[in-house]
Amino acid sequence: MIYADKNTGILVQGATGSQGKFHINLMNEYAKEIGSAGVVAGTTPGKGGQEVCGVPVYNSVVESMEEHDISASVIFVPAGGCGDAIMEAADAGIPTVITITEHTPVHDIMRALAYARSCGTRVIGPNCPGMLVPGECKLGIIPSNLCMEGDVGVVSRSGTLTYQVISELTMAGYGQSGIVGIGGDAVIGQTFSEVIDEFHTDGRTKSVVLIGEVGGNLEIEGARRAMEIDLPIVSYIAGVSAPKEKCMGHAGAIVEGGEGDASSKIERLQALGIPVATRPSQIPELIKRSR
Amino acid sequence: MKFREYEAKQVFRDAGIPVPNSVLITSPNEAANALPKVAEKVVLKAQVDVGGRGKAGGILPANAENIDKVAADLFGKTIKGLKVEKILVEEALEILHEYYLSIIIDRSKKMPVILFSKEGGVEIETLAKERPEALRRVYVDPSFVTVPDFIVRNVIGDAPKEIGKIVKDLFTVFLAKDAVLAEINPLVMTPHGVFAADGKIILDDNSLIRQGIPENRDLAPREAEAEKHGFSYVELDGNIGVIGNGAGLTMATLDIIAHYHGKAANFLDVGGGANADRVMYAVRLVASMPGVKVIVVNLLGGITRCDEVAKGIIAAAISQQVIVRLAGTNEGEGRRLLEERGYKMLDTMDQAIRAAVEATQ
Repeated sequence: MIYADKNTGILVQGATGSQGKFHINLMNEYAKEIGSAGVVAGTTPGKGGQEVCGVPVYNSVVESMEEHDISASVIFVPAGGCGDAIMEAADAGIPTVITITEHTPVHDIMRALAYARSCGTRVIGPNCPGMLVPGECKLGIIPSNLCMEGDVGVVSRSGTLTYQVISELTMAGYGQSGIVGIGGDAVIGQTFSEVIDEFHTDGRTKSVVLIGEVGGNLEIEGARRAMEIDLPIVSYIAGVSAPKEKCMGHAGAIVEGGEGDASSKIERLQALGIPVATRPSQIPELIKRSR
Repeated sequence: MKFREYEAKQVFRDAGIPVPNSVLITSPNEAANALPKVAEKVVLKAQVDVGGRGKAGGILPANAENIDKVAADLFGKTIKGLKVEKILVEEALEILHEYYLSIIIDRSKKMPVILFSKEGGVEIETLAKERPEALRRVYVDPSFVTVPDFIVRNVIGDAPKEIGKIVKDLFTVFLAKDAVLAEINPLVMTPHGVFAADGKIILDDNSLIRQGIPENRDLAPREAEAEKHGFSYVELDGNIGVIGNGAGLTMATLDIIAHYHGKAANFLDVGGGANADRVMYAVRLVASMPGVKVIVVNLLGGITRCDEVAKGIIAAAISQQVIVRLAGTNEGEGRRLLEERGYKMLDTMDQAIRAAVEATQ
């Protein structure tokens, strides 16, 4: 299984905010439906002792871990405190941290990711919908009603576009072995290639859908990784007609080795022999042909 | 958000990086007074945010005799579509050699990287492509709050030692300003030492508030209005207005419009959990751009409720046709509300977008 399973006890950091409350409820509804551990505790500094949807809230991650068996955290704290929350979770030894928060300052995230790496913690996000393994666990905000158990791994930089692809897959009869949103920001934790490695060893995934966007070259790295390990892969890249990315300027393009626009990304994927859909609705057909 | 040259130079000056003497003026009649405060020979530099400013006539030499005329000429110019509203009157430097120095974020490595070249003042992309060995790249651990000496040595090699201090000071600027780019190009050697002859700082848009900058002034009026509501909004030049939730789905919508040979006028991402009011503002904003003939709304509800979206579309009451694709929570109710009032509802995004393109033809 990728990153987490039925027995994964989940902590929610930023539990008492409106997003935190709303999604603790949804995560635990799904946990109940499939019989998984779900969210066992929450934290909000200064609000220890409260309860959110039946889940006890603590002042710190360390306190919550004294009382509960926790092996993953989902972060909803506001942007300014997000880097801090990642470091707190890593410092307490949580192996998997999923960061839903968007608009986080990039310097905070670089620092927090470096620290998490030194603690052996894997971070997914920020600015991502989290992950869901149908029938096993949900960590984040991916709508479980769109998903179905199966053998297609989905990894994406988007939120709602991922939901679109999942629903196309489910309608076409292709269930999913796992869905991971890695986040749309310039600097993120887990990248396509690391998630693809997870799919490779989960014992369920037969092929992977890689959903990318304009900017950076993580899609190409991920595709190369999938080829190396012989995992069949199909792709969709959004933003072919989007105006040129408002990115870091020319110096950014130099380091990344290419402009990172969607068309050149698609060309590079096709040059690797990877089928690329021109519309999300074509993805199930490409999966069918790749098998 | 970008700092203009004069702002970047003030930041450099405050951080101890040597910059040429200069005075900022906003009208031609300030030029003659500015000159004695700066130098005998000066250059007038238009503060417009375009590449290739020098070649486009945005940098002109001047002296006591001709400064009034040169300033008046430059203020009258439009450079690559931008009107000249501010001019930096700056000391003309005697340049012996030009270097390039910048610090940016490497997405893949997730850390800052310092770029340095002994061949500055050129188009840096061209240099990187044609002679990559002439551009040094040295990474800095994100936990470092200052650049260690060994990294400085790796950056500057056998270039003059005083550049080493500038590397350290530029890194301090990079961190303190939450920058995604801090660049000095060219960094020039003169008989009086090294100076930052031109500079650029791009701030992380997610850090503007803690930098004490309430508004991103790089945004056009409707973009700024959108930002106030927490929408991302971009204008293009077609005739189909686009509303989606999530950047990826919104971009995919644009791509399908192009696939059916339509042209998007603009696109707006309402974000997650949009309620009726937010949807109403979004529809009105997209409709307010001149030339928008039809609007396609493509929303996939995770946390977004379709009945709220429907109420928002109805409340916006705009004159253009709205074609809707809604899926997710309370879908049936949303559909009923819209269909009762005669809105065109389609089941898939392909169908909805195709209908919008056909409506413009």
